Amino acid sequence: MEISTEKSLWYLFIEGDLNAFSCLFKHFYPMLYNYGLKISGNTELTEDSLQSFFVYLHEHRHTIGKVSNIKAYLFISYRRNLLNNLKKERKYTTYNDSSILESNFSLSIEELSTKQETFKLKSAILLKLLNSLSAREREAIYLKYYSNLNTKEIAEVMDITYQSVLNTLQKAFIRLRSKSESSLIQNILNS
Amino acid sequence: MKNIDQQFLDNLIKDQSFINWVKKSNRNDIQYWNSWISKNPEQIETIELAKSIVLGIRFKETVIDEKKIDKELQKALSSIHLKSKPTKSIYNYKKALLPYSIAATILIIIGLFLGLQQYNTNTTTVHKTSYGEIINLTLPDGTSVVLNGNSTISYDKENSRDINLIGEAYFKVKPIPSTKAKFWVTTNDLKIEVYGTQFHVNTRDEKTDVVLDEGSIHLVLDNGISTKMIPGEFVSFSKSTENITHKKVNLQVPYSLWRDGTYIFNNLTLKEVMKNMEYTYGISTNFETKELEQKLISGGIPNKNLKICLAAIEKSANVNIIQTNNTLTITNNN
Repeated sequence: MEISTEKSLWYLFIEGDLNAFSCLFKHFYPMLYNYGLKISGNTELTEDSLQSFFVYLHEHRHTIGKVSNIKAYLFISYRRNLLNNLKKERKYTTYNDSSILESNFSLSIEELSTKQETFKLKSAILLKLLNSLSAREREAIYLKYYSNLNTKEIAEVMDITYQSVLNTLQKAFIRLRSKSESSLIQNILNS
Repeated sequence: MKNIDQQFLDNLIKDQSFINWVKKSNRNDIQYWNSWISKNPEQIETIELAKSIVLGIRFKETVIDEKKIDKELQKALSSIHLKSKPTKSIYNYKKALLPYSIAATILIIIGLFLGLQQYNTNTTTVHKTSYGEIINLTLPDGTSVVLNGNSTISYDKENSRDINLIGEAYFKVKPIPSTKAKFWVTTNDLKIEVYGTQFHVNTRDEKTDVVLDEGSIHLVLDNGISTKMIPGEFVSFSKSTENITHKKVNLQVPYSLWRDGTYIFNNLTLKEVMKNMEYTYGISTNFETKELEQKLISGGIPNKNLKICLAAIEKSANVNIIQTNNTLTITNNN
């Protein structure tokens, strides 16, 4: 969807147009669903919270301020909403945001494309490397390469600074590179 | 990380020429960066790291069943209806009583234009679009206009709040509270009188349809009758047959959102959809069978490029469209 189309749909949605709401719903549902599933690791909870998130958006559309980036806005608010739901769900334990995220956000082999340009490794090995990264690094990688958010948007969604998104990505890739090198060497030695 | 120049790395991953080198997509950039690297070997680690960040990790797109999304959407829509129906109508009604704070969305479909209005070249400003072209304009009073393809607006330089329209346009009228200055749009069939609001005008069929979402507006029909509209109402008027329809509709009427390059159709028949295309691109359509005309289309269709547009229609209606010169022939897709 082009940005300008998104914007006019958003405008019409704020005006109460349900057609526009439906278009936005259909467009953003898959990416928010996949993102939510990553955070919660629970399909039912993801579905329910996404459902109530969209209804909430519609209900409170008049109080939403000026939104310059609709995609980033939806990711940010849905993430917050979902984390709150997760906290309620686990109210008798003392999880905070980062421990909720730490326990989840693992990537699965079905999600990785078999054609990797950066790391020419078997999917299973690459997956192992990716899942050995911190949850924050995995989330940044997911948002960048799966959800196609840019650095500024990732910073807003993850509620960290622009510089720390860069650092997180850098660290992740430095580690991935050195690990993939050693696993390549190991492969050669084993064969 | 000691060999990594942070600032340089950040610049590299944002640099289109560098990205072109990484993706081997532009010969000049490939040459440039190859020679740059051979001259700056100490930066090789930063370059390699930047390259891997640009290429990144490839993910497969996980597809979610459309039926499931539709099911979830219907669920959301029904809870919205439960929650907002009673309060919403009160809200709109109250708003209708405040004529100066209106925000209207009007959908008007008006007749084939019968020759252009006379333009006086010295004092009249004219904006005209060709087939398939969409332009954004800001009028001298601050009102913004999006003009669809094959459309014309004209106004006197002295008074840009009195517009003549042939074709299709979307107006975002700037209110002037101090003088309560009105804004007029005149078409072949009628005159629309507004204060500050947003509305959509289309003069492309042999009648005028107006749908008001919020706010209030005044219509002065060509036969002299004047009508006030309140939200949720639909007015249709044809100058040639003098038929007037004035009724209440639900706000989910099908209409097209063309102004940002997408037509949004909500259960519109293929015949109506193709009529839109005919006006925007100046083409004509033949249907192989009558029942093809009645196929329903829902969803967004890009309208900036005829080829892409037709491909999208073919796909969503499951038909074949063959183009010969300016004629489209629509056949069943077997």
